[in-house]
Amino acid sequence: MDRRSFTQGLSALALVSSASLSSSALQTAAGAAAAPAAADDTRAARQIAHTTINTPLRLGLIGAGSRGQELVRSFLRVPGVRITATADVYPPRFEQLDKVCGYQVARHADYRALLDRKDLDVIVIATPLGLHAEHVLAALKSGRPVYGEKTMAYTIAQAREIVAAVAASKQVFQVGHQYRYSPWIRAALARVQAGEIGDVTHVLAYWNRNNSWRRPVPDPSLERLINWRLYHKWSLGLIAELGSHHMDIANWTMGSYPVAVQASGSICYYRDGRETDDNVQVILSYPGGRRMVFTSMTDNAKQGDQLWLYGTKGSLNLTLQDATFFYEPRKVTAVKEEKGDKKQEPVVTSASYSPANEMPYRGPGKSVEVKDPEDPTTAATRAFVYCVRTGERPIADEHVGLGSALAVVSANEARVAKREVEISAV
Amino acid sequence: MGFVNMRAFLWRRLLAGAVLLFGAATLTAQSAKSPETLYTESRPAMGTVFTIECYMPDADSADRVMDAAFEEISRLEALLSNYQSSSELSRISREAGDSPVVTDPETFRFLTRSLYWSEHSHGAFDITVGPLLRAWGFKARNGHVPTQQEQKGLRDQVGWEKVQLDPAAHTVRFTTGNAMELDPGSIGKGFAVDSVVALLRENGVHAAFISAGGSTLYGLGTPPDKAGWPVEIPDPRTPGSVATTLLLHDMSLSTGACTEKFFVQNGHRYCHIFDPRTLMPVEGMLQSSVIAPSATDSDALSTVVFVLPPDQSKEVLRGLQDTQAILFLSVPGASNCVVIGASKSICDDHTPITREGVRP
Repeated sequence: MDRRSFTQGLSALALVSSASLSSSALQTAAGAAAAPAAADDTRAARQIAHTTINTPLRLGLIGAGSRGQELVRSFLRVPGVRITATADVYPPRFEQLDKVCGYQVARHADYRALLDRKDLDVIVIATPLGLHAEHVLAALKSGRPVYGEKTMAYTIAQAREIVAAVAASKQVFQVGHQYRYSPWIRAALARVQAGEIGDVTHVLAYWNRNNSWRRPVPDPSLERLINWRLYHKWSLGLIAELGSHHMDIANWTMGSYPVAVQASGSICYYRDGRETDDNVQVILSYPGGRRMVFTSMTDNAKQGDQLWLYGTKGSLNLTLQDATFFYEPRKVTAVKEEKGDKKQEPVVTSASYSPANEMPYRGPGKSVEVKDPEDPTTAATRAFVYCVRTGERPIADEHVGLGSALAVVSANEARVAKREVEISAV
Repeated sequence: MGFVNMRAFLWRRLLAGAVLLFGAATLTAQSAKSPETLYTESRPAMGTVFTIECYMPDADSADRVMDAAFEEISRLEALLSNYQSSSELSRISREAGDSPVVTDPETFRFLTRSLYWSEHSHGAFDITVGPLLRAWGFKARNGHVPTQQEQKGLRDQVGWEKVQLDPAAHTVRFTTGNAMELDPGSIGKGFAVDSVVALLRENGVHAAFISAGGSTLYGLGTPPDKAGWPVEIPDPRTPGSVATTLLLHDMSLSTGACTEKFFVQNGHRYCHIFDPRTLMPVEGMLQSSVIAPSATDSDALSTVVFVLPPDQSKEVLRGLQDTQAILFLSVPGASNCVVIGASKSICDDHTPITREGVRP
């Protein structure tokens, strides 16, 4: 099977029980499901399509912090959705959420009280990473569809437990890898899978910022609660919070989970008591020797947030707003030979080195045009509601979540152990 | 109380927080050393440069609050930009012609306020002017007068009354049945400034100054031992001179002018601010400034009073609490300086720029 047709493998795997997959079975299962690649795009288009269906849908939110509020903004763009209740351990979030919603949302200090409610149709989880599994598993157990933020879980065992729980519950589960719903990324990846830039052997991804990644804290006692991303107890740092999106796109591009990972990181600038690194470097290995490299630094934003997919015939640049193709110079061209006895012009010898051949290409690329280039989170939340209403399997399902979690958690393990870590799909 | 101070006194009362001064000489000296330091940061956003100044106890806390504030501006740009096709406003522009589009409360609030000012200004303010700016070349920076045929076609694409909001369902619908081009250019920066002010207050900041490219400003609290944040309004009738200096205290000021965006064709100068009712660039107005408690409102109103004749502007501003305007016109034979809601003597008291900077 051509690697390029080995697409959407992780979503396609949703057709198969993951619990029984071995590494080779993974390939086989994905291969067997390769045909649905185009069908997957059709499914994605159906899920994110504009809708006027406004059947009431009552949403319960666990974790009403900044990401939870942003998700709510998007969910409130879907006809029929109402935020009915929320749970959070930090009381000021309640008022902030009411402001976002424009009405008062029922408040709970304990998420279990929220799950005990009988008036909720779906549960959305936007808590710190270290709590994802506990909240997702409890929400699934409550018998409702769940939208869970990425990274799906803090440990691989937890991620696998979620995969099994989704299968057992038969509930709709969508993970917050919203780039899977970005119209321009989907359109660009479809062209990559059709061979537009040849065989993609490398994905290079950056997410660089120039800020401390700290949130203002009204009282020092709240430091670890508000800046949880900076502490190991709940966070896997930049690898998870930023890198998981890029690693998911790499999995999507490669049509496979990674098989091994090396990683490093350090605190080189923000020596402010934080535990998680302020810069990280990850190398993911994929079958066939292909590589994904993710780097993140927080004291220089020149590269911003972007991915490059490098193929034998060209490159693709993906950003939060657009996608642009670049093409390699053609390598071989046929020469029309002169007929007759015309003398062939001799070649003039010279020094051979030309710096131009080594210079980066600085010209324009060919941008990907799409009809509705809307915000990926808006599209992802609408898709989730579509799946809840129809029972259809989400594009970013638990297997997509598992793939990203495998990469993130293993990368963190490699960073700590300072050695390459093998990744097992089972 | 001397003459100058009397005027300052009157303005202080009139503006209920925005204090007018005539030159920095009247400012009192700083009496006590503040334990806080003034920090400043600028970042590009919304097609201009936002600058925030705030008094904070240390660089770390300033860094954190600045990051949060600029993140909020970025978030709102991603929500409202008509240059980002992934923004919520762009989505509405694309889809609301087909069927009602449900949007989030924040975007709905933005649209509600926009249409409120359209209605109360009898159409002088209008966020549907996007096609006008495009047709006249202001979006692509190639200003030109469109053909009569092009101008005729614009009538169907522009008009605030074609945008219908349903508050119960939070939906937006275009009665045209087609896509429209919503342009937040005359209110979006003010909306962002108000959001930043709220965020800074929530984070305990009590003295800050926010500038959205200089056209919309807000003075939150006051600098230590000062009466407000000083802002100079230039007098466009005498280039290089200052009409007056205001001190902003929990107050916003927005200015509209054609000094930055315009083009000249056949010797005629065309302004980028349009009268949406005539679909033509505004003539005869040099500059408008509006002071109001809300930056969203002062931003919108600076366009309203730029577009409307002064008499009609007075009607729009009548009854609005703590809201004043200063207009400079270029109409021959008419008064070329008009003050609404305060003493007209400001018009006669411009001060040459002789100081370095604007901070007292």
